[in-house]
Amino acid sequence: MLVETKNLTKVFGEVRAVDDLTVAIPEGAIGLVGPNGAGKTTFLRLLLSLLQPTAGTAKVLGRDILDGVPLRERIGYMPEHDCLIPDMTGVGLVAFMGRVSGLDADSAIGRAHDVLQFVGVEEERYRKVAEYSTGMKQKVKLAQSMVHDPQLYIFDEPTTGLDPRGRTEMLDLVRAIASSPGRNVILSSHLLPDVETICKYVVILDGGHQIAAGDLHDLLTGAADRLRIDIRGDHEAFAQRLRETGFEAEAGPTGVHVGRRPGVEAEVFQAARALGAEVRYMGREIRSLEEFFLELVARNEGKGA
Amino acid sequence: MSISLPTYTRREMPLLGRRHRVRAIITTGLRREFKRPAVLVVIGIGVGVTIITSIVVVLFAGVFLQGQPLDLSFFFTPASNGAILFFVTLMASVVGSALIADDLQSMALTLYLSRPITEGDYLAAKAAILAPMISMIAVFPLVLTPLVAALLGSFSWTIALEAIGLSFLIGSLFTAFYTAATLALSSLTRRKSYAAAGVFALTFGLTIPAEILAGPPFNNPAVLYASPWENYLAVARAAFGATGAPIDWRWSLAILLAATAIAALATYLRMKFVEVVSG
Repeated sequence: MLVETKNLTKVFGEVRAVDDLTVAIPEGAIGLVGPNGAGKTTFLRLLLSLLQPTAGTAKVLGRDILDGVPLRERIGYMPEHDCLIPDMTGVGLVAFMGRVSGLDADSAIGRAHDVLQFVGVEEERYRKVAEYSTGMKQKVKLAQSMVHDPQLYIFDEPTTGLDPRGRTEMLDLVRAIASSPGRNVILSSHLLPDVETICKYVVILDGGHQIAAGDLHDLLTGAADRLRIDIRGDHEAFAQRLRETGFEAEAGPTGVHVGRRPGVEAEVFQAARALGAEVRYMGREIRSLEEFFLELVARNEGKGA
Repeated sequence: MSISLPTYTRREMPLLGRRHRVRAIITTGLRREFKRPAVLVVIGIGVGVTIITSIVVVLFAGVFLQGQPLDLSFFFTPASNGAILFFVTLMASVVGSALIADDLQSMALTLYLSRPITEGDYLAAKAAILAPMISMIAVFPLVLTPLVAALLGSFSWTIALEAIGLSFLIGSLFTAFYTAATLALSSLTRRKSYAAAGVFALTFGLTIPAEILAGPPFNNPAVLYASPWENYLAVARAAFGATGAPIDWRWSLAILLAATAIAALATYLRMKFVEVVSG
């Protein structure tokens, strides 16, 4: 397992930033998503061993998070915010971070050139970081996380501030790392399409709790015995009409969900005709991560209310 | 711009220990400091002025310091050189105030602390960058003066060697205090100018009022304990056997050591609880 937590809890005063989190995350590319204040950052800090848990245990790459320094030797972290040392050159900074990670001077400078070439900062590597564009800074941040060749990469919002081309390049790089043998990625992002294109497994947090976790394909694909119907029209009235004809139906933010049984398709079209609605999709539930996320958050808010 | 995926291959590399990592921060930090013109100017002028004034004192002791016995107590005079206070303060402001504040401002602290080092390693490295800079003014001229005096034949080697040892000790005490205090101030703010102002306030804001209140008409020498410089002078005076101390050197030594330890502890705690991952 890449990450295993058991009743992991972190409390700041009266705020339970991470609350009784028990999760087993397999190796590979993992998405960490959640609304603001969901506990993602605190969870990352706990994984990086920069915070001590209030209760519970956690292991990353088989090591207890209390191990600190030996654990961080195996982790490469790319922060969300600007954090580069402005008066250093790109290659100087990456080599320096390699040395602070434990590489000898020769290996560090060699690796710095390698990873800067990998991320596409070749021509500009001798320029000072202060002169870099946002896209180049993001790439240097990525390069510094790679320089000591860690087993686990933690990327916090890697596409923040990038234009569409830069975003595509960054996602290509993250995907290339995630698909390399022996490397694992935890991608924390608000941009759910980014997570959807890179990750195979996702953990969704809200209010410090895990509200869903699992294989992305399994989570987004609904049960075979249920249909999702997307209509242009009043979802609730449509669901009510189906219920009146004896079908189990409920309206949700992503459409109307109906139990599948013989005759349902014909009844759907009859109901649509009767209500003047237009059927745009009828089939097995295939949600985007964004739809799934919104559904979960709405359900979670409903529970809390 | 091209993305060269095929060139990146995984290689197993053994990682060196924490001592090496701390040394990397120190050497890179010193290299960066020595590239800054302001640092070079302060080092040049500070070391030059303190050394020249100390050696002039040795050369012209008979002229300037009539009645001063040429024994160990003579070396209190170069140790009490006011240029030391001024240039140590300037060096601490120019170099030390930025050491942590700049990392907080640029948020590079995140990069450091997400690496396999501890907060203690980071602080030790920062202290090891600042301390040699301060010691160039607080220790080096003091050690050089007895050496020059012995080479010129003005003092016996026995006295000179004793003076070198004592100079090293009291200079190191002063260096340790200013290193710890400056790093503590630097860790409290993202703006190095605030930390620099704090260093000046610590030095002159305490020393000048203390000296005024200790003299007539107030005649309250106990306030001198509030001044780091007066505490240093009291310890130096006792170390070299000079007379006329207005305050007890034991208390002064205790105050300097305690202030150094408290500042170091406060900085460590600040590092421990500072937000290193945001977003």
